[in-house]
Amino acid sequence: MPPRYGKLNTADWAKAAATINGYKTEPWLLKGAQILSINIEIDDDPADNLIPRTMHPSIPSYAIFNVTHYPESPAGAFSIAEVRIAGRTGVRPRGFVLRSFCDSENARRELGARWGFPVAPAEVKIDLRHDRIVAHVIADGRNALDCELVDRDVIAGNDIQYIASMHLARNKEDGKMVLVQVDPEFVFSKAERGKPRILHLDNNAWGAGDNLRLGNPISATFTVADVTMPKIRYICNPEVPAMQGTTKVAA
Amino acid sequence: MKFGLFYEISVPRPWGRETEKTVYDNCLEQVALADTLGFDQVWAVEHHFLEEYSHCPAPELFLTACAMKTKKMRVGHGIVVCVPEFNHPIKIAERTAVLDILSGGRLEVGTGRSATWTELGGFRASPDETKKTWDEFVHCLPNMWTQERYSYQGRSWSMPQRTIVPKPYQKPHPPLWVAVTSPGTEVDAAERGMGSLGLTFGGFAEQDEKVKRYRKIIRNCTPVGKFVNENVSTVNFLYCHEDDAEGVKIGKRMTGTFNYLASQLLAAREAYPSKSYPSLGLLPALRQDASGPGDASGAPEGIAIGNPARLVRELKKWEACGVDRVNFLLNALESIPQEKVLDSLRIFAKEVMPHFQGASDSAAAAAGGR
Repeated sequence: MPPRYGKLNTADWAKAAATINGYKTEPWLLKGAQILSINIEIDDDPADNLIPRTMHPSIPSYAIFNVTHYPESPAGAFSIAEVRIAGRTGVRPRGFVLRSFCDSENARRELGARWGFPVAPAEVKIDLRHDRIVAHVIADGRNALDCELVDRDVIAGNDIQYIASMHLARNKEDGKMVLVQVDPEFVFSKAERGKPRILHLDNNAWGAGDNLRLGNPISATFTVADVTMPKIRYICNPEVPAMQGTTKVAA
Repeated sequence: MKFGLFYEISVPRPWGRETEKTVYDNCLEQVALADTLGFDQVWAVEHHFLEEYSHCPAPELFLTACAMKTKKMRVGHGIVVCVPEFNHPIKIAERTAVLDILSGGRLEVGTGRSATWTELGGFRASPDETKKTWDEFVHCLPNMWTQERYSYQGRSWSMPQRTIVPKPYQKPHPPLWVAVTSPGTEVDAAERGMGSLGLTFGGFAEQDEKVKRYRKIIRNCTPVGKFVNENVSTVNFLYCHEDDAEGVKIGKRMTGTFNYLASQLLAAREAYPSKSYPSLGLLPALRQDASGPGDASGAPEGIAIGNPARLVRELKKWEACGVDRVNFLLNALESIPQEKVLDSLRIFAKEVMPHFQGASDSAAAAAGGR
């Protein structure tokens, strides 16, 4: 077994967790989503403090900055931004969501109750420019994230591989903390790749403190896709490795 | 069918200097024994930064040590990374020629391009470029080995006229292979008249199809070298024990450990979307197949773990698919004690090899050394 596991203090982290209303969520089809995703390597050792013991880090560690605009949804149009730390649950690539920000109160409520996303209010914007895709997140009047994809270049949608996300949530029924896996399906109508840039990052806004240290840029992608937010299929005990603490809750 | 060893050189934490040395010593002891038992070849990867999974960044040095400890086994680069940020082509030509000389003409040269961002990113190599540079390198190498004066003006590298010395011991040059991981790479191998060095497999049906495609295309190839190397090799795990349940149990411990380690690495495709990497590459494919469904014993289909009868049965299936050589991983993170690994090799040579033409010839020739 690999000796490197996450070291996240889940008790502290739970303060920002959403309360999930059971695991019987029905899927949402979200058409025409515009997704900016940026991968950046981060320093290995401090990054271990940003994933729960359920996961072990990828080699090298990297962070995923996702900013997505959904023009239509059952909760209306909304934009959401999140920072994930990539890792593995067992042998599966997964991204642990540090925090999410969303510009719609309806969407925040639904995303929290249905999937347990730790969503806080913020202004979230994606701007499509001729030579770049730019995203901004303003939370509590402070700049939480400025990032961009530059040198846009068309690629095929089937070259894109988004990894499923994991986040901490409190189960409404028993009050216990669980890791919830969300693995959306994507049908791409457009895909681009470019160079990633993080122009500003407020670590504290994402709960990362000094543990999120940006390193070697990897890639940035921008896609337009129909996204199916799925049923919740797996939950994990955040205190034990995934091989021992994973429960299947739906087919 | 011929059998060989395949080394990733997996080293468990903590990495004290004795840990690294012990693992390397164990590998060399296995190779020395395998030579006396009639194994035909030993291959070593080139990997960088793949902590625990593979501590084998300088295969030419390891293979030189193997050559010094053996008399008959061929030594193979499995593979040398043909990306300029990793290896300059002149250095590849020179190093391989020296190794061929030192081994007395026993070198096989596998070529490839790396499948992980862990490595490509570490050398700041672009995943978009690796297939192109690999193709350029493999067209250059045979000429660098055989032409007295050589100059080159190409896409990814160039050199004015110089005399690249020494030349390889084998004439015209060592056999060339391609690492076959991504779907369709067997076609690249066949079109260039190179051996197909399979570093993963997708089950018997897929292998059968791949081999047929390879054999068909290579008939009309334009070889990059001075001769066609029509051979199909695959990689497998090996743990052989007289007791089937014990063999499967210990073998699965190795495959599970290997697969777990492999999953930590960052495949190029996961982090950097590119048509250059249509699949996750060597490691995830091997992982899925080695942990897939098998029979009631729990041994995954096609994996060489268990008792000799099971191994003969599984390896005969690979042979029926047209596979010429199988190279075995013997351990992962030292999860199997060295004595058990050596015993496994002995049992395999005694009870499995005789069932295979080619391997039994090698085993018989080596019998005096047992």
